[in-house]
Amino acid sequence: MTDDKDVLRDVWFGRIPTCFTLYQDEITEREAEPYYLLLPRISYLTLVTDKVKKHFQKVMRQEEVNEIWFEYEGTPLKWHYPIGLLFDLHASNTALPWSITVHFKNFPEKDLLHCHSKDVIEAHFMACIKEADALKHKSQVINEMQKKDHKQLWMGLQNDKFEQFWAINRKLMEYPPEDNGFRYIPFRIYQATTERPFIQKLFRPIASGGQLHTLGDLLKDVCPGAITPEDGEQKTQVMIHGIEPMLETPIQWLSEHMSYPDNFLHISIIPRPTD
Amino acid sequence: VSCGMAGEEDFFLEEKRFKQYCEDFVKRSQQIGDGWEWRISKDLGDGYLSKTHFQVRNRHIPPDLEEKNNDNTEQMLFAHVEEPLDDSQATGVCSTEEVVRYEYHVLYSSSYQVPVLYFRACFLDGRPLTLDEIWGSVHASYQDRLQDGPWDTITQQEHPILGQPFFVLHPCRTNQFISAVLGGSQEHHRHTNYIILWLSTVGPVVGLHLPLSYAKLAPEQSTDADL
Repeated sequence: MTDDKDVLRDVWFGRIPTCFTLYQDEITEREAEPYYLLLPRISYLTLVTDKVKKHFQKVMRQEEVNEIWFEYEGTPLKWHYPIGLLFDLHASNTALPWSITVHFKNFPEKDLLHCHSKDVIEAHFMACIKEADALKHKSQVINEMQKKDHKQLWMGLQNDKFEQFWAINRKLMEYPPEDNGFRYIPFRIYQATTERPFIQKLFRPIASGGQLHTLGDLLKDVCPGAITPEDGEQKTQVMIHGIEPMLETPIQWLSEHMSYPDNFLHISIIPRPTD
Repeated sequence: VSCGMAGEEDFFLEEKRFKQYCEDFVKRSQQIGDGWEWRISKDLGDGYLSKTHFQVRNRHIPPDLEEKNNDNTEQMLFAHVEEPLDDSQATGVCSTEEVVRYEYHVLYSSSYQVPVLYFRACFLDGRPLTLDEIWGSVHASYQDRLQDGPWDTITQQEHPILGQPFFVLHPCRTNQFISAVLGGSQEHHRHTNYIILWLSTVGPVVGLHLPLSYAKLAPEQSTDADL
């Protein structure tokens, strides 16, 4: 039986082979070759694509280079969503490598947040962690930490340092011995077909009788339309980090072991492939 | 940096109460023609307050954020379109005025159990204002507050219902100042509308003003006596 801690490592070190191609209408001085990269599932596009930017800037004039943005099959990719979430939501049942198109012009103001510096990514990341702790611990754990601990969470993510990150993050995964779990579970459920970007609600991991709520319980409560009853044909997949966890899995366990570094469970509901 | 979150003595706003206060707020707004409406999301039935208005913005006097001594009270960066322009503007001393369309939304945060103010602004040609332009148009007396951040700060975030980029006034300290006002005796403040109180405090930071008429209206007789 695999140790639960191995799950933490598997989640952290997940990678998606990606091919970046420059958008054909971008003006170049010579032809731009595609650029291949293994993207960390747990990170953010604008945090890990400096090399991509440099590669394409080499064939472009300085004045043609504005804020970089990414698109997959016509859909602008939200850099503030973790990479693994973007892949699961938009491309999980397509052939690898993941083909992303790179743009430097016509930034889609109505779709994407701006990301002018790494500070913006850090601020977003820390805001998510704080919100997660507000749900789990009424912000008590995150507020007790020093500024250097907050910084260590960010540096661990930025530099891909599992141990450095988890030295601090483990505190955010603890709960008082008298409780059996967190106060509420930080989660977001995404479906590519809705205008609403995600569903997020208050959900307790432990029922009033003391039983552990499961992933299935969460889905039934929060988006009942997403999963069909057992006798019907299952038209959708419920995906976290590229896998379909069993619906019987306790949500408390999922929150502790399969959250992203921002401490949220980002869950995708996608159409089940028909082959 | 700590973001105060609570003990039982703090005043938290439950979602049902939020909706009740919003309903009351919209009624009052309709009575005085202030333009607020309640929008319901079709899929989940949750909703938010919404108001759109147009403001004249003086484009060529961006206040220098470093000049803290600069008294900008003469240079009203926000002027309602109906107000007469003062002489200096009429004679073109300050140059181009542009009309900006502001959209304000009040949503409920279940994570922090407070209302949150979302807004966006664009020129009439559709070009959105940048974060710098938004910062620049904040009244000078609030700029210190924002610069010291992150307690009160404006960031760009995804609107949780519409999925589009909006600017957001960070809700971190909301509970502390609300508690300070409402915390004393809830009985005493039975008829205070939390939304009016909150919006009249945070709104002006981003150019949103509530006419005093909101305070003068007598609370309507309601079956929800606990409001």
